[in-house]
Amino acid sequence: MTGKTRYFLVGSALVFFVGLSIGLVAYYGGMPQGLFASNSGPAELKFVPEDAAVVAYANVKQVMSSDLRQRLRQFGGPTDEGRNEFKTATGIDIENDIEYVVAFMGKRQADAAANSINGLVLARGQFDQGRLEAFAREKGATIEDYKGKRLIKPSVNDDKLGNKHERDLALAFLDKGLVAIGGDAMIRRLIDGAGASSKTARDNAEMMKLIADQRDASMWAVGQFEAISSQAKLPQEVTDRIPPITWFAASGHVNGGVQVMVKAETKTDEAATNLRDIVRGFVALAKMQAGNRPEAQALWPNVEMGGTGKTVSLSFGVSTQLIDAMTPKKRDSGGTPKPAAPKKPETSEKPAK
Amino acid sequence: MSTTTPDTNVTLPTAGPAMPGPAIRQAPPFATAALRVFDLSLSQMLWSRRTIFLGLVVGSPVALGLMLRILDAFGFTGGIRMGGAPVPGAAVFGSMIWLLYLRFLVPVLGVFYGTSLIADEVDDKTITYLFVRPISRRAVLVGKYLAYVVTTVFVVLPSVVVLYLCVQPLGHGSLAEGFTSLLIDLGLLGVGLAAYGALFALIGAGIKHPLVTGLVFAFGWEQLALVLPGYLRKFTIAYYLQALVPHAMPADGLGSSLQSLFRDIPSPAASLSVIFAMIVIFLAIAGWMVEKREYVLEQ
Repeated sequence: MTGKTRYFLVGSALVFFVGLSIGLVAYYGGMPQGLFASNSGPAELKFVPEDAAVVAYANVKQVMSSDLRQRLRQFGGPTDEGRNEFKTATGIDIENDIEYVVAFMGKRQADAAANSINGLVLARGQFDQGRLEAFAREKGATIEDYKGKRLIKPSVNDDKLGNKHERDLALAFLDKGLVAIGGDAMIRRLIDGAGASSKTARDNAEMMKLIADQRDASMWAVGQFEAISSQAKLPQEVTDRIPPITWFAASGHVNGGVQVMVKAETKTDEAATNLRDIVRGFVALAKMQAGNRPEAQALWPNVEMGGTGKTVSLSFGVSTQLIDAMTPKKRDSGGTPKPAAPKKPETSEKPAK
Repeated sequence: MSTTTPDTNVTLPTAGPAMPGPAIRQAPPFATAALRVFDLSLSQMLWSRRTIFLGLVVGSPVALGLMLRILDAFGFTGGIRMGGAPVPGAAVFGSMIWLLYLRFLVPVLGVFYGTSLIADEVDDKTITYLFVRPISRRAVLVGKYLAYVVTTVFVVLPSVVVLYLCVQPLGHGSLAEGFTSLLIDLGLLGVGLAAYGALFALIGAGIKHPLVTGLVFAFGWEQLALVLPGYLRKFTIAYYLQALVPHAMPADGLGSSLQSLFRDIPSPAASLSVIFAMIVIFLAIAGWMVEKREYVLEQ
């Protein structure tokens, strides 16, 4: 064997064993995230705890500037009321200041005290910290430094005597252009954990797999189904009949219209088959209901059901044409109320004797 | 050609006391002989012109994987999609193993290297130098076959590992998730290379134009028999190899759809037994053919 051959064999074996070792280390859970992992989802996921039950994202700028919103506003869909309310409370103008938001709900929401907030909204955008602090002071909020981060705690006026007291809500400037709004305890925990090597949502492989599928979505929410079903407080009869769903993902791509995709993962293949049957039934029922409404019928060709194994997916698109078709009807029904039809004289039909 | 005349000045040995002559060298045992041929053939095989072909064929999927990884790192890919739906890295890796490696690379390498084990020596008229050695002809074949297995395994398997590191994490797949599949894939590719190599070594030893016959078998017969109903698929190597594949067979092609219609996959144990039996039988027949056949070197 020549020296050249020997070097080649050693080099080849080295590549092989180094690669296998990396795989082996990953297999036993020792691979640092980000080394070989593909970074999906927004960067703010590093603030989301690993055990978050639900994580959601919305590209506010995209949604706000979309044709869909403009069209919906034309016939009185979304109003500025909520936006103004938020601005009054926090000083942040959603339309102009926020680029996107990431929100999450902690797993222990059900066990948490009724008045404590176990969720958080992280907003990325352009914020004038000085202006916002001045605004908060004006409203009577308290501002404190917590481990180098500014924490604003709004006070609320909720009793008839006009007494002010602090509530659990807080707002913190985590980074330049990043604001966290949520429970005070949660924000403090977030600031505590930011420097430590605590695990984040990026370490939750199942959740990240679902988040990775949402690359093109303008808004999405993924999480454990149990977390929302327990919050929904559904009747026992209903919960007993829902097949065991582990994870869900819902996403929407907004442009002229909106393309919605809902995905659920069940515990077994059989449960997925049952769920598909249930969804198919609901789709058929809705189709039947919309049988005499041409504008609703136009929606149906876009409804697609899919998924294999444990996955069930449903997608549908609402086109701009459909929105346009529905607009004048909405105006008719909401704008000028039609005069009430004269009541028929009530006649008691008694059997003729 | 020069002729030599006897030198008259040379004194010839005369009869005298018996002197100890050189010891008669014993022919080495079969295993030693095969290892010597392996040692000799390995460098020849590794640094031949075929290596360029091997490098190109094996390097292409790796280059593709690297490209996907780089694009993903810079956020250009937007995720790999099939029919509009995002596909995780594990599925991409599985498809590449199934379609590129098992269905294409392994048979191609088997054909190009396996058929040339004896045929190249015949074409180069160097087979005489091997056959005049005091070693069994079977040992020559087995040594060359071992050199083929080592060459291809040392090129293909590291490329698969590099591909795994590049592709598996795409779409937020995890290395841990696909590790056991990788181990099975590596074993499977090793077995595939050995099986195809043995078959084409047999074809190379017994047929005059082995390359054409090998290509017809690998990309004609094997592809056709797999989609035909009945027992014909049992006369292919791919049938037994596909039973060992850990990944789901992609069902987008017509061939895959036809295969799924007539699917009766043997158990992994049965498949492995058949493949090992094939390797032994093909090599034994090839060895017997090389032993018996008289190779006429064309002038």
